[in-house]
Amino acid sequence: MKARRWRRDLLAGSILSVLVVVSLFPYLFMLIGSLKDNTQFYHSYWSLALPFHWENYVLAWNSIKGYMLNSLIAAGASLLGVLLLGSISAFVFARYRFPGREFLFTLIVCLLMVPSISSLVPLFILIRTLGLVNTRFALILPYVAGGIVLATFLMRTFFQQIPDELFEAAHIDGASGVQMYWRITLPLSGPIIGTIALLTLINIWNDYFWPLVTITDDSLRTVTTGLAFLQGQYITLWGPLFAGYVVASIPLLVIFSLASRYFIAGLGGAVGGADMVK
Amino acid sequence: METLYRAVEQPRPETSPSLVRPRRRRSFLSRLLASWKLYLALLPTLLILGLLSYYPAINGLYHSFFLWQPGYDSPFTGLENFKAMLSDSVFLQSFGNIVQFFLFGITLAWLLPLLAAELVLTLSSKRWQFLFRTLLILPLAFPLVVVYELWGFIYDPQVGLLNSFLHALGLGALAQNWLGNPSIALYSLMLLGIPWIASTPFLIFLAGLQSIPKEIYDAAAIDGVGWLRRIIFIDVPLLLGQFRLLLVLAIISFIQLAVPMALLTNGGPAYATMTPALYMINTAFFDGNWGYAAAISTVLFVITLAFSFIVLRVQRRQAAAV
Repeated sequence: MKARRWRRDLLAGSILSVLVVVSLFPYLFMLIGSLKDNTQFYHSYWSLALPFHWENYVLAWNSIKGYMLNSLIAAGASLLGVLLLGSISAFVFARYRFPGREFLFTLIVCLLMVPSISSLVPLFILIRTLGLVNTRFALILPYVAGGIVLATFLMRTFFQQIPDELFEAAHIDGASGVQMYWRITLPLSGPIIGTIALLTLINIWNDYFWPLVTITDDSLRTVTTGLAFLQGQYITLWGPLFAGYVVASIPLLVIFSLASRYFIAGLGGAVGGADMVK
Repeated sequence: METLYRAVEQPRPETSPSLVRPRRRRSFLSRLLASWKLYLALLPTLLILGLLSYYPAINGLYHSFFLWQPGYDSPFTGLENFKAMLSDSVFLQSFGNIVQFFLFGITLAWLLPLLAAELVLTLSSKRWQFLFRTLLILPLAFPLVVVYELWGFIYDPQVGLLNSFLHALGLGALAQNWLGNPSIALYSLMLLGIPWIASTPFLIFLAGLQSIPKEIYDAAAIDGVGWLRRIIFIDVPLLLGQFRLLLVLAIISFIQLAVPMALLTNGGPAYATMTPALYMINTAFFDGNWGYAAAISTVLFVITLAFSFIVLRVQRRQAAAV
């Protein structure tokens, strides 16, 4: 029995190892390549080459730090908006009864069914009419609008699961609605806030078409469009190009390693929504 | 007055039953006025969604029937835009491409993740399960643009990883211009990301398989059911719900698929990798044909809605039948 289990583990483990190698090899190649100059790249294509060219990273960092900062600003501001507005409306929907509750909630959740690509054109016309093209608001406002929907939906479910007794006790002690939101609901909502934060960050870090069409000013470009732009500039300098890819990947990788549970939950949350472009 | 939401209305013991007056139903208007604070709290969310989600969606729908010239007169053209689509060979071809992509996406791109999920759960050590799961989904932590650009390099005909690999194996004859040859470019894009395990299907299969009760496996083991037969006759039927969810997600995501094409081929060569979504974007932002682009958006939206509706409907009927 024990021998059979061991054999099964070995077989499964070796097939899985092959799959891991196949999926991770390109990233390993990128990592190694980011330390080579072009001569090393062509002469020792498959192997590490000494000396390491760390200056590739300096070059890459100098070219993309502005893009990364822009992405972080857009992501941070959008995240703040999504969490604030989403948690308030989720709290109202989860904890109160009032005329039109179901109708308004359905109105919000319906938007999960609208594929983001189908409102790209009219949304762009709106942003252009408002004169927001080439401003940070062109990114932040639509990201907030896009994020609120799923945030409201997920947070309402979460808030409904908080025991009623807590709120009743607070009510008896004379707590106002605002206090129940701020002092009870939010402190208990760490997991859901983490999940939504990650989801929002991943979406923004990956979004391509929206920043491509609304931001043409190079000083406001985000990391996705910036990288594509960089690819055109460095076409024959593989080291700095790969170093740029590595640097651009660092924020998501750090979060992945620190909180892979939230990360997976965030992806699971994305499954509930409509925003899962392959 | 704002009322706390409670599942069960508490009885009030201090008043005797005979004295209890039926609770006075307040008029709709007074309840509406009493809840003004709640509406005020929802107002920012509703305003931003109204302006940035509902208004553009409806505006786009409306202008699919116009020769839309934003800022200028936009004459009403009825169904002209939709008629033009039917005789637009590029648009039709883009649909053929996306259907092929979709068929690949719900077969091959599910098979390997399912196999990997089964293998991960076969491991008897929880620590090894965690390790392999983490390593297999690690590529998800890379930004999509990095992933696509990296694959652009892999497919590069001169210095790309794939051709270099073939040359190193002495199979140089098989080297191709993977993205530049119209007869294989679409398939190259499908193979992008092989073995496709860092994906939503993998995570969903994994969660689904973990929720299957152990007793079923024990019973199967006693009956001497082998590994492959167990997957086909036990796991796959029990994962039906997961498959349906993935099918809806696949419809939504493949209808929107455009980013890898935009980055690597721009729909070419010879429209071999054009997708409806990319065509819509090019029509709007390069040709300035806003009305036609709006009409394509409308078609994509209706298709998504219709298919998701059908799949969910079938799901409900089957759930009712069980």
